[in-house]
Amino acid sequence: MAQVSTPTAPARRARRSLPDLVVDRLWRFFCSVRIAIWEIAILALLVLIGTLRGSSVPQTVADAVPALAPLVERWYAWDVFHSLPFMVMLGLLSVAIAIGGMINRAPGIWQAIAHPTVATTHGFLRNAEASATLAAPAPPDVLADRMTDALRAAHYRVLTEERNGEIHLYADRFRFAKLGTFPFHLALILILVGGIVGARWGFRETEFIVPEGSVRGLGYGTGLSVRLDNFSDTYQENGQPRGFRSDLTILEDGEEVKRGVATVNRPLTFGDTVFYQSGFGQAVVLRITDARGQVLWDDAAPLDFVSSVNPDAPAAVIELPPAKIKLHVIAPDSNRGNAPEQDPLGLASGTMYFLPRPLGPDGPIGDAPGVVGRVGEVSEVAGLNVEFLRERRFTSLQVGRNPGIPIFVVASLMLVGGLAVTFYFPHRRVRGIVAAAPGGGSAATIVPLARRDWSAQRAFDRLSGEIEARLGLPLSRRRSPAEGPASATSRG
Amino acid sequence: MEALVKLSFYCFAAASIAFSASAVSYLAYAVGRVRLRQTALATSAGTTYVTRSAALEPGWTGAGRFGTMLAWFGVVFQGVSIALRTAAAGHLPLSNMYEFSSSFIFLMGLVYLLFERSYGVRQLGAVVLPITVGMIVYVWSLPVGLREVNALIPALQNRPLMTAHVSLAILAYAAFAVAFAAAVLYLVAVRRSVAWLPSPELLDDLGYRAVTVGFPAMALVLILGSVWAYQAWGTYWNWDPKETAALFTWLVYGVYLHTRSLRGWRGNRSAVVLLVGFAAVIFTYYGNYFFGGLHAYGGV
Repeated sequence: MAQVSTPTAPARRARRSLPDLVVDRLWRFFCSVRIAIWEIAILALLVLIGTLRGSSVPQTVADAVPALAPLVERWYAWDVFHSLPFMVMLGLLSVAIAIGGMINRAPGIWQAIAHPTVATTHGFLRNAEASATLAAPAPPDVLADRMTDALRAAHYRVLTEERNGEIHLYADRFRFAKLGTFPFHLALILILVGGIVGARWGFRETEFIVPEGSVRGLGYGTGLSVRLDNFSDTYQENGQPRGFRSDLTILEDGEEVKRGVATVNRPLTFGDTVFYQSGFGQAVVLRITDARGQVLWDDAAPLDFVSSVNPDAPAAVIELPPAKIKLHVIAPDSNRGNAPEQDPLGLASGTMYFLPRPLGPDGPIGDAPGVVGRVGEVSEVAGLNVEFLRERRFTSLQVGRNPGIPIFVVASLMLVGGLAVTFYFPHRRVRGIVAAAPGGGSAATIVPLARRDWSAQRAFDRLSGEIEARLGLPLSRRRSPAEGPASATSRG
Repeated sequence: MEALVKLSFYCFAAASIAFSASAVSYLAYAVGRVRLRQTALATSAGTTYVTRSAALEPGWTGAGRFGTMLAWFGVVFQGVSIALRTAAAGHLPLSNMYEFSSSFIFLMGLVYLLFERSYGVRQLGAVVLPITVGMIVYVWSLPVGLREVNALIPALQNRPLMTAHVSLAILAYAAFAVAFAAAVLYLVAVRRSVAWLPSPELLDDLGYRAVTVGFPAMALVLILGSVWAYQAWGTYWNWDPKETAALFTWLVYGVYLHTRSLRGWRGNRSAVVLLVGFAAVIFTYYGNYFFGGLHAYGGV
């Protein structure tokens, strides 16, 4: 007798090439549910750490346990959501979702939908947590037909298979709901893709400041500039803000292309560029000339800084490269409740403090003294004539262009749709055998595939009630303890 | 308008009483009665031994029914309170912690009662209703000024999105509260042989069903919040602490669902994840007290 030698398992492994092994290991890594759950848990932990960083919790920890102060400092300094570990976890999870959550599961899910196993065993039916049995004087094929009709009437798909004179039944409902997992998981990836597309091909200007009556270029290759025609803020009687409104004119290559209003929650859109009302403040309109009368500045300067000696005093910095001077402009204290020592400049309303400083290392002046200027007057500051024309408002806009938004919208719909299908249309399955009864006639036993699933068992109870009513035959139900043997649920 | 606001508050006060009485009834029903037994044994030597033991017995079923009835009263009163305040303000009361918590009390009561009706489990009320009462105590402790109706601040002036985003958050939290209650009862039911508690399998399933309501609702909260953020601030995700806290909560329940569906977790382990999930809900809910960021206006 010829002997056939078969390679042992180690021998087979040895034949596999290194790339094969690497791919296999990676595939298993990304298909592992256990690892995916750990990845979600670690991501959740990082999110928690990042969330607390934006709160007073770390400081409370440092106050309570001073020894932890250095750690807390590092915690505050760590920008979790832009850190490498966070990005790595997002990347790993995305690949795990794509491979383990979708690609690897697809064949099995499709098998369950299109070609489920119909045949079962009496042992499986015996060990099921719940079952329903009915007897009929008719032969098995007739009872099976009637069972099939009853199940179909309950909107179940029914598949049958004859084995050894017995008819095996498999019935299910909402089988396509199993596909709901794909749009849900794909949506998670698409949300990340939308973020990447937005960051790569869009732009976002978070502080685009335009004083009233001034025009500011947007940049980013848009050719757009914006003029603030008017800014208004209104308040309720209790001092709470009621609304902020910017009347804007959008210019493209210097030509007016749109006029409109931007308020909080109602941005102004031009093409795919969106202008959001974000903030506002005071601006000062100055005309600055040098000793020869050359105009160095004739515009509004937003007071969007604060003074280093009084944080309640708005300030502006105007750079004057031709004169190699930068002019600090400080407005009066905006908090009238401050004590005099908190406001060392003590500026009156209608005045500004001009403090010249050198621009760059070769600036012509040192620490020259500051000058208080009055509205409508010209002040001499470090050899410059600074005319304080008037005060105005400025608006602070956020401007963005985000081509990732359509992806985000589609992903959101897929995410919610996938979840709804998965949760609210659960795949219900029933197995059974119709066989000839020893005393004549036939008997049918059906069981739900619902291990430790109370809702599925309740659905099975309803289904068996419907079958009983439709067939007009008494049906006996059995319910065994929930912790049945594992073999009872290993099928299906 | 002032009259409507006052009437709304009186309804809230009535709901507070109804919910509190309901919580007491449910507790009486779920905890059962303690029966003390004393046994005296006389020995032949003339010595008498007395032994005492305490046993828990099922509570009066009437207490459970009474709890349900009172909870419905509470829901109706709170619903009327919200309707009146809506009429006064011109929008659903969702714009500060007083309004948000009032709506949460209403939806928590309603969601609980719907689950009670669906599953026929009254013992769950012994956990959910005390949480509701805790929320009522919190609302009463808030500054009186918050009870007044004010116009919406600019950041909130988007009624459709505010209504959808915040209402869904409340619905999600309410469903998670029910899931939490189911988890607590599960852990009690499997550790103590309290025969009249619902079966652990039922409680496990109930917790899962509650999460299947809360998880998609929370997903919608994040999505609608992103849409709103995009309209108001120009970016759909700011890594704002309240946003990320909500994301954290959603991820915890994501872990729960995945461990359940793919790893077959049931029972104890699932129940513990639900406890962690509800801790995340509380953390997100009260985050305004210690978070800064873009949601700070929602605080007190």
